[in-house]
Order: sequence, then C-alpha cells, then structure tokens
Amino acid sequence: MNAESVMERIAASHAGQAARMAGGAAWARRRELALARVLGSGLPDRRNENWKYLDHAKIAEREFDPAPRVTLTADRLAPCLLPLAAARRLVLVDGHFEPQLSDADAGTGVVVHDLATLFSTDPAGAMRLLREPGDDSDDRYALLADAFAAGGLVIRVDANAAPAGTLYLLHVSSASLPGTSHARVVIEVGAGARLRLVEHFVALGDAPAFSNLAAEMQIAAGATVEHVRLHQSGGQSAQLETWVIEQQADSSYSQHLFALGGRLLRSNLNLSLAGSRAQCRLAGLFMVDGERQADLYTQIEHHGAATRTIQNFRGIASERGRGAFNGRIIVHPAARGADASQSSRNLLLTPLAEINSRPQLEIHTDDVKCRHGATIGTLDPAQLFYLLARGLDPDTARSLLTFAFCEDVITGVPLPELRRGIEELVVGRLPDRDVIRSFR
Amino acid sequence: MMILSVRDLRVRAGERLILDGVTLDVRAGEVCAIMGPNGSGKSTLTGVLAGRPGLEVISGTATYLGRDLLAMPAEERARQGLFLAFQYPVEIPGVNNVYLLKASLNALRKHRGEPELDAFEFLNLVRAKIRQMQMDESLLNRGVNEGFSGGEKKRNEILQMSLLEPTLALLDETDSGLDIDALKVVADGVNALRSPDRAIVMVTHYQRLLDYVVPDQVHVLAGGRIVRSGGRELALELERRGYDWLREGTAAA
Ligand SMILES: Nc1ncnc2c1ncn2[C@@H]1O[C@H](COP(=O)(O)OP(=O)(O)OP(=O)(O)O)[C@@H](O)[C@H]1O
Ligand SMILES: [Mg+2]
Repeated sequence: MNAESVMERIAASHAGQAARMAGGAAWARRRELALARVLGSGLPDRRNENWKYLDHAKIAEREFDPAPRVTLTADRLAPCLLPLAAARRLVLVDGHFEPQLSDADAGTGVVVHDLATLFSTDPAGAMRLLREPGDDSDDRYALLADAFAAGGLVIRVDANAAPAGTLYLLHVSSASLPGTSHARVVIEVGAGARLRLVEHFVALGDAPAFSNLAAEMQIAAGATVEHVRLHQSGGQSAQLETWVIEQQADSSYSQHLFALGGRLLRSNLNLSLAGSRAQCRLAGLFMVDGERQADLYTQIEHHGAATRTIQNFRGIASERGRGAFNGRIIVHPAARGADASQSSRNLLLTPLAEINSRPQLEIHTDDVKCRHGATIGTLDPAQLFYLLARGLDPDTARSLLTFAFCEDVITGVPLPELRRGIEELVVGRLPDRDVIRSFR
Repeated sequence: MMILSVRDLRVRAGERLILDGVTLDVRAGEVCAIMGPNGSGKSTLTGVLAGRPGLEVISGTATYLGRDLLAMPAEERARQGLFLAFQYPVEIPGVNNVYLLKASLNALRKHRGEPELDAFEFLNLVRAKIRQMQMDESLLNRGVNEGFSGGEKKRNEILQMSLLEPTLALLDETDSGLDIDALKVVADGVNALRSPDRAIVMVTHYQRLLDYVVPDQVHVLAGGRIVRSGGRELALELERRGYDWLREGTAAA
C-alpha cells in the first residue's frame, strides 16, 4: 500500500463524516484546515528520525473509517475493570464519552465536560480549550485527531482541590469490527491541586482497530499529579497517542507507563518543565512478545530553573517482539541548576526479538547535572546458573529473572491493589507463571 | 558406597584446557578436601560437576550415585542431591532470598516424591536453620545475596545447604573471607551434615577449616591434575612447605 492511497483513504473517511461533526462553521473550518495540513505533509514515516522504529505499514493497513457505534452494557465492561477502591470512573468507548458507564460525580473539585456536548453548546469554548497541533512530525497524529475531533473529555481540577480516591479514565476500544477512532482529552489541574489519575486501555474484540488519542495536561503551580497508564488492549489493536504536558513552578508529575498489550503501540510524550523547580518522574515498562511492537518516545524540555527529571524505563522483548525507547531530554539555557537522569535498560529474551534504545541529552547550559545510560542485554548466565544449581526449573528461573528485571518499575506504582494487578499482568506474560505467582 | 567417581576428566573453558585428566573418588561418609594454588582449576572442577555453562568436557567421565552426571542438566543434578556452595555467590536483586529457599526446597521435595511444605512449616524450618547459622533474619527478605557482605554470602550458602541436606556437597572456598566466629559456625554447619550416607568435598586454601572439619582425604590439584593425595597430614605439610615442591614433582613425572 503506498502513501498516496493512505492519504486518499483518510480524505475519503473525513468526507464521509464531516457533515455529522458538531461545532458549527468555525469547527468545520478548523477540521478542514487540519485535514489539509495532514494531507499536505503526510503521516510520519521511517525516514523521520523520531519515527524510524515504528512499523508504519501496520497503521497504513488499518481501516480509517470509524467502526459503527456500539452500545456497551456495564456487564460487558465489568470483567475489564481494574479493582480500584473508591475510584471515580470515566469511560470513553471508541473515543466517545459514555456517561451511562461513568460515575456522575468525578469527585470534589473535579469538573468533567463531554467534548461532544461542548462542541454543540460552546464551540468557541472548545476552540480555546483544544490546543491546535503544530507542524512538527511528532504532532502529526494529534493533527489528525484534530481533523476528526468529535469526542473526548475535558477534566478540570480546581485550585487546591484534593479529590479523594482515584480518577479512573478507561479507554475502551470495541474492536468488534475494523475501524479508526480519534479522541481528545484535556486535563487542567489547578494550582496546588492533587490528582491521582489511572488511565487504562482495553480492547473488547479482536478486530484490527486503530485508536488515536491526542491528550494534553496543564499542571499549574504547586500541583501534584500521579498518573498511571496501563495499556492492556489485547489482540490486533493499534494505539497511537500524543501526550503534551506542561508543568508550572513547583509542580510535581509522576507517570508510570505500562505497555503490556496490543499489536502496536506508539506513545509520544512531550513534557515541558516550564516553571522553576517543576519536577517529573517517569517510569515505564514495555513487554513485547509474539509479533507485537511498542515504541515509546519521550521528549522532556527543561525551561525553568532548578527543574528536575528522573526517567527510568525498562523493556523486555521475546519471540518476534519489537520494542523501542527513544528519549530526548533538552535543557534550555534558562534552566540553570537543572537535574536530569535517564536510564533505559532492556532485556532481549530471544534472538529474533529486537530492541532499540536511544537516550539523548541536549544541554544548552553549563549549570546542570545530567546522567544517562542505556543497556540492552540478555539474562545473566551466572544468575541463571545459580538458580538452576538450586534445583529450579529453567523456565521458572528465566521467568524469575525477567520479573526481577522490571520489579522496581512495578514497585513504584502508587496503589497496592493496582500494583498487584499490574504485577499479575506482567507475571501472566511470563512462562511458568504459576510458579512465579507462588513466589510473590 | 561410591558417591562420586571422576575419571580422567579433561575440561576446556574458552580456548584453554583447564582440567587435564582429573581422577577422584568420593565415598559415602567421607569428607574430602581439595587444595591447590590459585588458578589450578578447583572451581572449574566443582563447576563442571554442578553443570556450570561455558565449560566444555573434552573427555573423561563423572559418575554420581551410579549415574552419568555430565549428561544431566544442572537443575537435575541439584534435585538428585548435589549441592554447590559457590566461591562467589552471585547477587540476584529482585528475587527474594526466602522465596528462593522455598522454591528450591520444594523442587527437591517434589523430585523425591515428598509433599511440598506449607508456608508455616517452611518458615519454622528456616527460622531454626537461620538461628543455627547465627544469621540476621532480615537477610531472608532481601534479594538473593543482594548487598550481603562477603561473610553473609558464605553463610547464606551454608544455610541453603543445611536446608537442602544434599547427598554430595561441593564447598568452593566457603571458608574464605570468614571471620573466626563465622568459620566456626560454617564448620558446625558442615559437621552437622556429615553422615554415613552423604559426602562432602571442600575446596580450601587454609588448614584452619580442616581443624574443625577433619577430612578423610586431602587432594592437591595443580596444573589441572590431582598431583598428590593423602590424609589430613598432607594439609599440614602444605601449610609448612607451600606448593612448589609438588610442582617440581609434576614436572618430573
Ligand atoms: N572462560 C575461560 N577462558 C579462559 N580461561 C579461563 C576461563 N575460565 C577460567 N579460566 C582460567 O582457568 C584457570 C582455573 O580457574 P579456576 O577458577 O578453576 O581456578 P581455582 O583453582 O578455583 O583458583 P582460585 O584458588 O583462585 O579460586 C584460571 O587460570 C582461570 O583464569
Ligand atoms: Mg576457585
């Protein structure tokens, strides 16, 4: 399939839907413009440094028309839910907010708007709220989402609010038929507020669905956000996501990203430490087996003085799985006293698996402390032999060491019940899982 | 009864021939000491017997309880009651020490057709052993050997040994790096294992351990061969005279 035909299919899909999209003339113009920009520049491909590890053909072969809307019952959803005590749930199905599957009250100090409604009731407000994606290729899929913008959520946390419990944002891909869905999510966290957000991605069916999420988060001064992101979609699903996060002074953001599902995942994070002393802590783990691919790209920009980054990513690839970590940290001249550390450690379990790791530091000031390191290796034969010499089964020994490799990323997950759930998902991916379970 | 019988074993690591025809018999009830200069192949010998990867057997045999030891995978040897206390126990962060003990014991019990111990029985057993080893209980819940001091690692090896009660224990310099009290504790652990149906092979550089655990036989490994065998008095002689006189002996032979 050549690039031209992908663009033609995207244009045709847009033409088929445009008339049904809400928001009046202004939004119709904005979408047309966004579409024209996508068609003009094309989607990123391998020639682009930041996109060179992604299997673009897997996206090009997808159906770009939306799948027919499905109505889900709570029963259908129940088996997918994470066991989060006292969580307020917000559910997006194929990019559309589903109030009847969601909690009406998102917590004290939290206001939620359905974007689909906002387009009709306050198109000008929606225009102000939704960032217009730039020309950078890292923003191209966000631009595509802008061209198709129809649904999603706006979440506002009031200044100094500290909603009890967890905000649980569930992204469901119905995947009963092939199709593409786009979603926008905007989160504004007010000054001094505290938010714990769990994002969870699941697919209900096995059809080759494509989900494209463009999301942004504004974290005001002194706010604290804990963000767990769990990709657990099974089967053939492909997920593209573009997150843009901006942090003001003295804010603190931590993310725990687990890429444990789907046929293909490309995750873009562009995080800006805009205000002084803003700090972010990013932990990530991908596990790819079978023919699966995970491609994690992060760009962290230090603008404010004394800003701080701690990034710790792990990757595990087996069978024909392919994983990539591409992490850029840019320290701008104004970021005096910045401190950034970046570590990417990766484990290749089989000869046909593939991992690429590219940590990159760009430093434009002298007054800065930076460390980075990347390793790609196999299980340590000395450790393996030690376990065998104690009578353990080779599969058990390998699984134990594999689990040990990513354990510290899991240990960092804030909620015990969530930590156990994720641990279970990781263990479930390993051979000899029952023995490992008895180890926990 | 013969527990271990090694015949003319030649082993290569990388490009180097390291064991050049080792012959050794260990009978039930015996404690046998192996001494020899640094780099003479002692760890290679214990390693090849335990199934360490990267060692290539060129010729010779090793028979354990009448079976071809070298044909068995490492875990099978362990399950059949062979135990190697490593000279340099490896650290395994993220794998809990006490869980390893439990998995290991249960793997061996399962192999013998015995039921697995439940959590309560197991903990009682481990607690008793850890008191014997005069170890801090907090070491149980750390990663395997993670951040253990040299002496703690060695005690941990002996703790595993006393829990697994092997038929053949190969102790590779378990006495090195121990303070005097720890040496006594380790020696007690080894003596407690002594029985008419087990055997112990101790690699050591020092006479001191042999004061506590009196060997039935002492062998000297040099240049990849056993160049001298004798009783405990051989160890005393080595302490006095060093190894040089034996090396001359090999050259002449
Ligand atoms: N993979 C290898 N390639 C080349 N040489 C090796 C390899 N492994 C071990 N050797 C060498 O084999 C020799 C024997 O090593 P071994 O560890 O068995 O000695 P040792 O008798 O246990 O010594 P020590 O008393 O210092 O513990 C050493 O010279 C060592 O460097
Ligand atoms: Mg040695």
